[in-house]
Amino acid sequence: MTASDVRDYDPGDGRLSTPSTTRPSAWSADVRPRPTVALPPLAPDPRQAAPDWFEVVEHFREGLVVCDADGVVRHVSPVAERLLPEVTPGELLSAAGVPALSEGAPAGFIHRGRQLTARQVPLSDARCCWYVEDVTDSASRADALLAERARSAFLAVVGDKLGNPLHPDRAAAAIVRLAVPALAEVAVLVLAPRAGRARWWRGSRTDDEAPTVDSGVLAGGDLPAAIADGLTGVEPHAVDWLVEQAVDAGWLPGLAGTESAARVVPLPGRDAPVGVLLVARRATRWYDEADVELIRAFAARAGAALTTALLYRDQAEVADTLQASLLPVEPVEAAGVQWGTAYRPAQAGLRIGGDFYGSHRLADGGSVFFLGDVSGKGVEAAVFTGQLRQCLQALHRLESHPARLLRLLNDALLETTQAHGQGRFATIVLGVARPERDGGLTLTMAGGGHLPPLVLRASGEVEAVPLRGMLIGVVSDPRVGEVTVRLAPGETCLLYSDGVTEARGGRRGDELFGPERLVTALTGCQRMPAPALAERVEQVTCDWLAQGDHDDIAVLALRAAGLSARGARHLHSVPAGLDQAGETPA
Amino acid sequence: MTAATAAVDLDDAYSGYLDCLADADEYAATDLAIALLDAGVPAERVLLDLVAPAQAEVGERWARNEWSVAQEHAATHISEQVVAAVSAYAKSRPTRGRVVVACMDGEWHALPPRLVAEVLRLRGWQVTFLGASVPAAHLVSYLHRYDAHAVALACALPMRLPYAHRMIEACRRSDVPVVVGGRGFGADGRWARRLGVAWAPDAPSAAELISDERALRGVPAARLAHLADDEYASLLRRRGELIDSALAELRERVPAAREYTAAQLDATVSDLGHIVDFLAAAVYVDDASLFTEFVQWLAGILRSRGVPAGAVALPLEHYAAALRDFPRAGRMLALGCAALPATAH
Repeated sequence: MTASDVRDYDPGDGRLSTPSTTRPSAWSADVRPRPTVALPPLAPDPRQAAPDWFEVVEHFREGLVVCDADGVVRHVSPVAERLLPEVTPGELLSAAGVPALSEGAPAGFIHRGRQLTARQVPLSDARCCWYVEDVTDSASRADALLAERARSAFLAVVGDKLGNPLHPDRAAAAIVRLAVPALAEVAVLVLAPRAGRARWWRGSRTDDEAPTVDSGVLAGGDLPAAIADGLTGVEPHAVDWLVEQAVDAGWLPGLAGTESAARVVPLPGRDAPVGVLLVARRATRWYDEADVELIRAFAARAGAALTTALLYRDQAEVADTLQASLLPVEPVEAAGVQWGTAYRPAQAGLRIGGDFYGSHRLADGGSVFFLGDVSGKGVEAAVFTGQLRQCLQALHRLESHPARLLRLLNDALLETTQAHGQGRFATIVLGVARPERDGGLTLTMAGGGHLPPLVLRASGEVEAVPLRGMLIGVVSDPRVGEVTVRLAPGETCLLYSDGVTEARGGRRGDELFGPERLVTALTGCQRMPAPALAERVEQVTCDWLAQGDHDDIAVLALRAAGLSARGARHLHSVPAGLDQAGETPA
Repeated sequence: MTAATAAVDLDDAYSGYLDCLADADEYAATDLAIALLDAGVPAERVLLDLVAPAQAEVGERWARNEWSVAQEHAATHISEQVVAAVSAYAKSRPTRGRVVVACMDGEWHALPPRLVAEVLRLRGWQVTFLGASVPAAHLVSYLHRYDAHAVALACALPMRLPYAHRMIEACRRSDVPVVVGGRGFGADGRWARRLGVAWAPDAPSAAELISDERALRGVPAARLAHLADDEYASLLRRRGELIDSALAELRERVPAAREYTAAQLDATVSDLGHIVDFLAAAVYVDDASLFTEFVQWLAGILRSRGVPAGAVALPLEHYAAALRDFPRAGRMLALGCAALPATAH
C-alpha cells in the first residue's frame, strides 16, 4: 500500500478530509493530524525527506485494517491490534468473528467492553481499509453531558412550574406530576401529618401517557416506617425494604417489590420537613448517585413550593376572615325597595377598599341607606370603612333622622380618629327610605360632602338631587345638607362614588368620565331593574377605563318597586344580589 | 311526563318567556320557568332550551336596533334571576371537585357562563361563579386560596383575546387547567386552538371536557410565533394616535361629523377604538377572518341604526394608510375593506 492508494480519495464523512490529499507533492508536509494525536513533531521544511508513510499512520488514533480484494487481512496497525486482537494478518477478515467489520453493519458497536466505531474505505485494486476508533471515553463524556443537560432542563421546568405560589393541594399534585416520568414511574408525596392525618398524592403512569394523579389520607400512625423516618428528616438508606413498605401501603400499582428500585427523600420545610417524596421505578433503571442528587435537588424545590403554599394558605385564611368583615354588606330586604349594588375595589386582588354602602331596617318599616368613600385606599381605608359601618349600625337605633344621624356619626368618627391620631375623613350620602301607599318611596337624604345622587324619572330623564354638605370626621359641627325626594313606582335613585365620575379613559386614557357621561348612560334606562342599572354604571365606567387603573367604584341604586312587586314569594327562591365575589349558594 | 310532551311545552313556553322579557316582568318569567320544572322538565333543559335561546334572541333584537341597551340589560337581568331560581329549585348537591367559572376581564356578557356554571352544578360539580369582568388578579388570588379542579373562562368578544390569553396563562401558572368558551374564540374555537387552550362549544361539552382531566391538560401548545414581528405591540402603542387622526379625517370629509353631540362623539371614538382593538386581536391570533367578520358585523349594526356603511370604510382606509409599515395589519385592513358591502366605498 502506498500513498497513491488514498491520494484521490475523499473519505466522505469529512473527518479526515483535507485538501492536501489531492496534492501529492505536499502530502507529507501538509498532513494535519487532529491535535490530540501524540505525533512526533514533523519538520515543516519541505526539503527534508518525507518520513516513512507507515510511521505516520501507525500513530493515528484510528486503527487500520487493510484487506485485499479477496477479503484477506493484509495489514493491522498497532492500534487496531489492540482494539481487535482477533484480526490476524493473512486470514479472512470475515473469519475473525467481528460482525461489525462487514459491509452494511452499523458504524458503532461494543467490542470487548469498549465502544468502537468503524468505517470502510475502498482503496485501489478492490482493496479496502477499515478505520476503527475507540470512542468509549468521548461517548461517555457526551452521555454525561447530555444527562447533565437533561437534569438542568428538568430542574428549570420544575422551577418554572413550582415557582409561582400555588394552592397547597395544587402544589402537591404538581410535584408528583412533575416527578413522573423524569424521576420515577410512581411518585408518592406524603405531607407531614396535620391533626394526626397525613395526606398523600401519587403520580403514576401507564405506558407513555401523561401521568395521572390521585390522592388519599392515612392516619399518622399508619405511615410506613421509612416515610415516618423521612418526616423526621432522615433519609433512609436501606432501599430494599423500602420498596416492600411502599408495596404494602398499596402505593406501587404495577410495580412488584422484587423488581423495583425506590428512594425516599424528605422535602425541606421551615424547620421540620414539610413532607416526604417516595420515587420508584423498575429495577432496570437503578437509582445511581447522580439520580439521587437530582431527586434531592427536586425535593429542595418541591419543599420550597409547598412551604410557600402552606404559608400563603395560613395567611390567606386570616386575611380572608378580616377581609370578609370589611366587604360591603348587601342591603337588607325592605318593603317597596329594590336594591342594586356594584362594587369594584381599586386593588382587584385585595377585594376591599375605601368605598362602602349598606342599609339597615328601621322599626317603622323604613330603611336607612348609605354610600360613602373614606380618604385613602387599600387595607387602611377598608379598616376605616369598617369602623364607620359599625358606628352606623349602632347609631341608627338611636336616631333615624338622616341629618341628625349624620351629625352623630361625625362626632363618633371625630372621637375615633382623634384617639388614633389617624386624621381620616369620609364623604357620605345617608338617607332614609319610607314606602308610600301608592308603591312609591319617599327618600330623605343628608349630604356629607359626597357626590349628589341622581334620580331616574319615569319619563326617562335623569335629575341630579341638590344635596350639599361638608366632609365628616373633620370638624365638630359640620354643615349637613338635607333633601327629600319622592320616587314614583319604577323610579330609581342612584348613589355612586367618585370612582365612577373620575375614571380616566377615553382616547388617551387621561380624560375624566365625568357626570355628563354618567347621565347620558342612564338616560332612557328607567325600566331597568335596580341591579341591572347598578351593573350598567359599573360596566360603562369599566369600558371607559379600558383596563386602566382606577379608584374604588361603588354604586347603590334604590328603585321604588311599586305595588305589583310580589317579592315575598320569590325572596327565598332567588338569592338576593348575584354575588360577584363569593360563592352563589349551591 | 314524556320527553316529547316536555319538548312541546318548552316550545310553547319559549314565546311566552320572550314576552316576559319584553315586558321586563321578572316575576312572570320566574313563574313560567318554575312551572316547567314542576311539570317535570329537567332543569338543564330549562336553562339550555329556554333561557339560552331567549338570550340569543335578545342579542339579535339589540343588533337589529329593535331593543335599546336598557331593554337588553333588563332582559338579561331577568334571565339571571330565572337561572338563580332554577338553580335553587334543583338543589343539586356537589359530589365532585371545585370548578371556577368567570368572565374575562372587561367581559360583561355574564349570562352564558352563568348557564355553564349551573349546568356544571347540576352535574355535581362544586361551582364558584365569579361573575362578569373578573380582574386576573382577583381570579388568581382566588385560585391560590381555593383548590380548583378547573377554571372555565368566557369571552364573547374576540377583541379581548389578547387579555384572555394573559388570563389563561395566569391560571396555568397556578397549575389549574383552563377550558374556554364563548363566541370570542370563534364559532369553531379556532382562536382557542391558536392560544393553546381547551375549548368547548356549549355547556354540555364543557361539562364533558371538565370531567376528562387528560383532555384538559393534553392541549397542543399555543402557536404565536408571528408575534415576534411586534405588530401587535406597536398597534397598541399607536392606538390613541390612530383614533385621533381617523377622527380628524372623518370631520374633514364628513361635515355632519363636525356637528356631533358629546355622546355621538364618544360613540364614534369608541367605534374607532373598537376597530383598532379588533385589528390588534386579529394580528394577535394572525387570522384576518377575525377582523373581516367584525367589519361585516359592525357595518350591519351601524346600518340598522341608520349610519351609512361608508362610516366604516373611511376609517379602514385611513388606518390602512397610517399602517403602511404593518404588513399583516395592512393585509387584514385590505380584506376588511373588501368584505364591506359594495355601496360602502
